[in-house]
Order: sequence, then structure tokens, then C-alpha cells
Amino acid sequence: MFKTACQEQLLPGDTLQRKWEFAREAGYDAIELRGKGDFHFRDRLPELRRAAADGVVMPTVCVDMLHFLGDFDDDRRRDAVAQMKSQLSVIAELGGAGAQTPASYGMFSRRLPPFEPPRDERADRDVLLAGLTELGEHARAEGVTLFLEPLNRYEDHMVNRLEQAADLIREVGLDSVRIGIDSYHMNIEEADPAGAILAAAPFIGHAQVSDSNRCQPGAGHLDWAAWLGALDAAGYQGHLAVECRLTGDPVRAVRSIPPFLARAAG
Amino acid sequence: MTPPPPTATPAPLRTPASAPALPADRHTLRRAARRVLLRNWTGAATVPSHGLYPHQWSWDSAFIAIGLRHLSPLRAQRELETLLGAQWGDGRVPHIVFNPAVPLDAYFPSPDFWRSSTAGAAAGAPRGLETSGIVQPPVHALAAWLVHRADPALSGGRGFLARVYPRLVAWHRYLTEQRDLGGGGLAAIVHPWEPGMDNSPCWDRPLARVEPAPPGAFRRADLDHGAAADRPTDLDYGRYVRLATDYRDRGYRDGTTPLRTPGPAFAVEDPGVNALLIASEHALAEIATALGTDPAPHRHRARALTSALLERLWDQDAGQFLCRDLIAGEPLPERSAAGLLPLLVPDLPRAVVRTLLDTVRGTHFGLGTTVRLLPSYDLRGPAFDRHRYWRGPAWSNVNWLMERALRRHGERAAADALRTAILDAAAASGFAEYVDPYTAEGRGTRDFSWTAALALDLLAAPGPGDDDHRAGTVRHGEGER
Repeated sequence: MFKTACQEQLLPGDTLQRKWEFAREAGYDAIELRGKGDFHFRDRLPELRRAAADGVVMPTVCVDMLHFLGDFDDDRRRDAVAQMKSQLSVIAELGGAGAQTPASYGMFSRRLPPFEPPRDERADRDVLLAGLTELGEHARAEGVTLFLEPLNRYEDHMVNRLEQAADLIREVGLDSVRIGIDSYHMNIEEADPAGAILAAAPFIGHAQVSDSNRCQPGAGHLDWAAWLGALDAAGYQGHLAVECRLTGDPVRAVRSIPPFLARAAG
Repeated sequence: MTPPPPTATPAPLRTPASAPALPADRHTLRRAARRVLLRNWTGAATVPSHGLYPHQWSWDSAFIAIGLRHLSPLRAQRELETLLGAQWGDGRVPHIVFNPAVPLDAYFPSPDFWRSSTAGAAAGAPRGLETSGIVQPPVHALAAWLVHRADPALSGGRGFLARVYPRLVAWHRYLTEQRDLGGGGLAAIVHPWEPGMDNSPCWDRPLARVEPAPPGAFRRADLDHGAAADRPTDLDYGRYVRLATDYRDRGYRDGTTPLRTPGPAFAVEDPGVNALLIASEHALAEIATALGTDPAPHRHRARALTSALLERLWDQDAGQFLCRDLIAGEPLPERSAAGLLPLLVPDLPRAVVRTLLDTVRGTHFGLGTTVRLLPSYDLRGPAFDRHRYWRGPAWSNVNWLMERALRRHGERAAADALRTAILDAAAASGFAEYVDPYTAEGRGTRDFSWTAALALDLLAAPGPGDDDHRAGTVRHGEGER
């Protein structure tokens, strides 16, 4: 049976401790944090340390910025790498597992005008390899992992499928860089999501869940039994971290997720 | 990447559902079985194995669906829908549905041999895809019912039963009407591949009458993947090809019943095929009830088939059911595990059940006494070969059926032991296609889909002694196997 985590913004309560109380009662095993830019996440360290001391389990952080390690702009890219390094250090201090980031988000889509990005594929790859290597070495030094998240084609033009992420990670050659898979993006990009999980099994380090419509698991039409069955067959031991929109009564929706996932996982 | 947080207010607590606890080795086995089914899935159906069997097989798909329902009820439904989508106009469900993306020489006989879309046109073969023209045992209605039960809400939402029911009815009608070649109310087979037990010694005598196709007339593909010593001989293969060629050249027409010439050179009533037909007819009654349709015609047909089975194929001296050769008009003396499968039939006379159970345990099959797994053929038979295809090895599907039959008749200890033996063999052999009945050493291809699927099904059921907790340990509210 998988452990589950819920992203902090989905949980009711004005402190992490109150959110944790709700999360545990709802059947979650952990909270996934959100890491804003401008070193905001680092600045939360006092709050996070208190929460950890109070027993709140916070294994992962998902970046919450609008620029990333694959940015076209050098300054923004450098800042994104600096932010991620800081987030990796913070999650390491909390005794966590790692931090998740996409290559980019909302910067360019080959499916939308003007269709051709300003940087060619070779240069995209060089930029990503450099960023992943720098972050991977930092993560290794901190004893945590950087999770690279493939996004769907409308949100990122560089890394959309697990095999693309695995290919980059293979070339980087660091165990401290793994794939952070997301069921919603996989539903759009993978011909066979379950098969893609098995094929990329050794590279998968983290998993985020939301349904076909980006809402909570159970609110869409994903074949959860197959997706979770594949993740189990792949030997995945990490959390299923809920990152989604909510449809219907939000509290009821958040509560519905752990039992839904447990039942679907069999 | 995530929208703003919702406004949240507290709500009553609910305890999450819990998954069944499996011992570590069984959990490892379940993961391995899932990997096999995920890798052998092709998008709309599952291949038995990518190397030896790279297309969709009829009874394989039924057994695969029975296990796949525990991994993905949706895929299990699609598995059966895909197969039934290749059904012929006359109701037959072809034993192979070919994947057009696979090269012609990957399997023999290939689509250009069967030529279903042209040679089978008069029998209603689909025009847009290629299939074989023969059939396999009708496990499909049983599989459909079990798949539905795995997730009735999903099934209902997709209209699964409503869509497959008329096709399954047409399939059974084909078998009970077009294939009643003996005129006695049983379905006959016209090729040794039809009962699924391709190379059984039961077919030696009726096959001996068949003039083999010349060796140069075809090229076997099975030897590219399997050891020749485990596979049928070239001479037998020549006879298989001859029978299939003749059937094709007759336009896959079954002729009028009862059997008359010119007709097939091979026509046999097999107790395994008919037992599965009866079990599936009972499943059709359940499906009809679920759909609000009258189940009585299915129950009536099941009773009639059961009477015919007892009348035509029961052999008291042998203590089991025997095949009947319709050309020679006599029973075939060879003892096959198919002759024990009528234990699946719910309303056999008690004396017949007792005799069959004695035979299962006796010197000829030795289940639980000499061997842990039911052999496909008489351990003491003259043609017994512990390694050769269907001439002695133990098969997962036959053993799964026997486990189900033993449980049905209250033989709980024997069923538990057999279940353990099936799972042990699957784990040790890497989901082999079949195993040596004495040592459980794997033979044939590995990562074989139905071996993995049926292991998943047995793993989803409660362990020995756990029957009281059955409903709580099976997924999706599935309380019935």
C-alpha cells in the first residue's frame, strides 16, 4: 500500500500543525510543501523546524515559481538554479527526500503560436544538462534528490515524457537526479502510462497524482488501477503526493483521496 | 502549476480502505505478475507472450481478463471487448485475432494462410481485420461475469455487460447449433487446436486418419521460440495444416448436422470444451439477471448440455469423461485432464462427482498424492511425456479451473494445496507457459500472460483458512470467484 502526501495549500488550517492534524485524520502520511521563489522557502525555516519538531512529516517540496532551470533568459535560469539549490538544502535540513521541478512551465509550447522556440533543441539540452548536473551535485552533497517533472506539451516544450527525462538523467549520471512523475501530464503525453512507468522504473523518484481533468484522483477518468498497479510493479516506495485542483466540496474532496487511492491500488 | 488553495472547512472523519496484507514473497510475486501483464499489454489487448504468441488468442484473453481485473478492471473489459469485436457473423469467436503490425513470418499459420476476410466471407468473417477460422473453448462468458463483478460500477457506467451479452449469446448459439456435429446436443471440435490442448494424445487416433500436408508446404514459426523436443512433431504439424487448409477451402462452413460427408476429417466431442460451455452458460444466466433479462433460457440450455455431456461422454469404467470421436463413432480411450473439467459443472450427480474426485487423486492423475499440480494427461498413459506440449505437463489454466472446481465441491484442503502449488510453480518458473508436473520445472515460453494473470487471481483470493474474510480481502467488492 502506498503512502500518501497532500500538498499544503489543499489542507485546511492556518498552520502546518493544524494542516497535519487534518491530514492525518484524513488518512495522509505526509505533507508536500510548496517552495516559492526569492528564497521564501528558506525564510520559512523557523516555521518548518517547529513543524518538524511537532511531528509534521514533510518529505518533499514542489517548486512554486514562474521561472525554472530551463529558462531562455540566463539571469532567470541562474536564479532558478539558486532557488532550487536552496530548496534542496532546506528539505535536507528537515530530513526530507527531495525537491521537484519541471524544466520550465508556461514559457513555451510548440503547440501554440509562434510554434518555433527561440532556442534550438541542442541548446535546450545543453542548458538542461548543465542545470541538472549542478543541482544533482548539490542534492548529492545534501543527501537528497532533485526530481525532474515532465509536463504536458502545452506547459513545457522540452521534457514531456518519462523517457525524455530518463534520457537526460542517464546522461547526467547522478543518482541524486530522478524523475518526478505526474499522472495528469502522463495521461496527456504517454501512449501507455502504465507501460511508461515500468519502462522508466529505475529512474522514478517521486510521484504526484491528479486525475485526467487535473482534479482530485477519482474526479476524472484515469485508469488508476493500472497506473498504481504499474507503480507498485515498478517497486516504487515513495509517496503519492496530491497536487490537484478540487471539484465539489473541497474538504470532502481532500478527504476522499486516500481511501480512493487505497482502493484503486488494490 | 497548481491553482490557488481552496477554502476548506472541517468535515466528519472517514477511515481509508485498506489493502489485503500479503506475505512478502507473495507481494513480490504479485508485483512480478503485474509486470508481465503490463508488458504484454498492447493497447487494446494482451499477447500471451511477445515472442511465441504475438497476437490475441481467444481463450488466453478470457483467462488473462480474469487476472487482469485485479490490475485494471478497465483493461480486463477491453480485453474481452477487443476479442469479441473480431467475432464472425455466424457467431464464432476466432481463436486468433491477428495484429496487423506484426510481420507475417512471426507466427504460423499466419493471416495469409487463414485468409479469413475472403475465405470466411460467407460465414461472416470481419472484412477489416484478419483472424483464424477455428475456435477455442468458450471461457468468455465466465470471464465477462467475473470481470463485471470486479468493478460493477465501472462495468455499469461503460455498459460492459449490455454490450458483450448479445455477442456471447451468439457465440454460444454458434457452438450449440452449428457445431452440434454429432446431433446429440454437444459442441464438437474440428481441429486439435480448438480445445486449446493442441497436442493431446487424445487426438492421436483421429489424427492418424488425416493425410499430412507435405513438409515443404509450410514453415513452422513455433520452433524459433520453443524447444523442438517440447513441441508437436513435424508429422503432427502437417496434419494440423491439412485440417485447417481443408476447413478454409470449405469456406469455414460447418455443414449440416448431424455430421455427414463431405465434412471434416476430424470431429470430436471434448468434455473440457463442453464443461466450459456449461459453466459459461450459467454465467450467461447471471449476466442476463444483472441486465434484467430472463435467465431461464440459459439455465435450460445449461441443463440440456449437462444431460448430453453425461449421456455421451461419461465413462463409468474410466471414472472420468472421455472424448468422443464422431467420425469413428466411438469414445477415445486416452485420459486427458479435459475429462476431469466437468467438475466445474454445478449440477452433476453426486456419484459422478465422487468418482471424478477419486480419479483426480488416483493413480492416473495423482493430484495431492503423486504430484502437486494436475498433469494435462494420464501419468500412466502410454503417450505420457512430462515435457511435451499437452502430453503430460501441467498448465496454469487447467489447474486454476481444477482449483475452482475443488473449491466448488467443498474440497477446501485440496483446493488450498493446489492454489499454493500453482503460485509456487508460477514464482519458481518465471510464469512459465507450462511446467513438469513432477518437479514444476518451467517449460515453454516465460512471462506467459495467463500464468501471470491466474496467479494474480489466486493472490487476490483469501489465503488458506481465510474464507471467512473473503469479502474483505478481494478488491472492488469482488466477493465471488
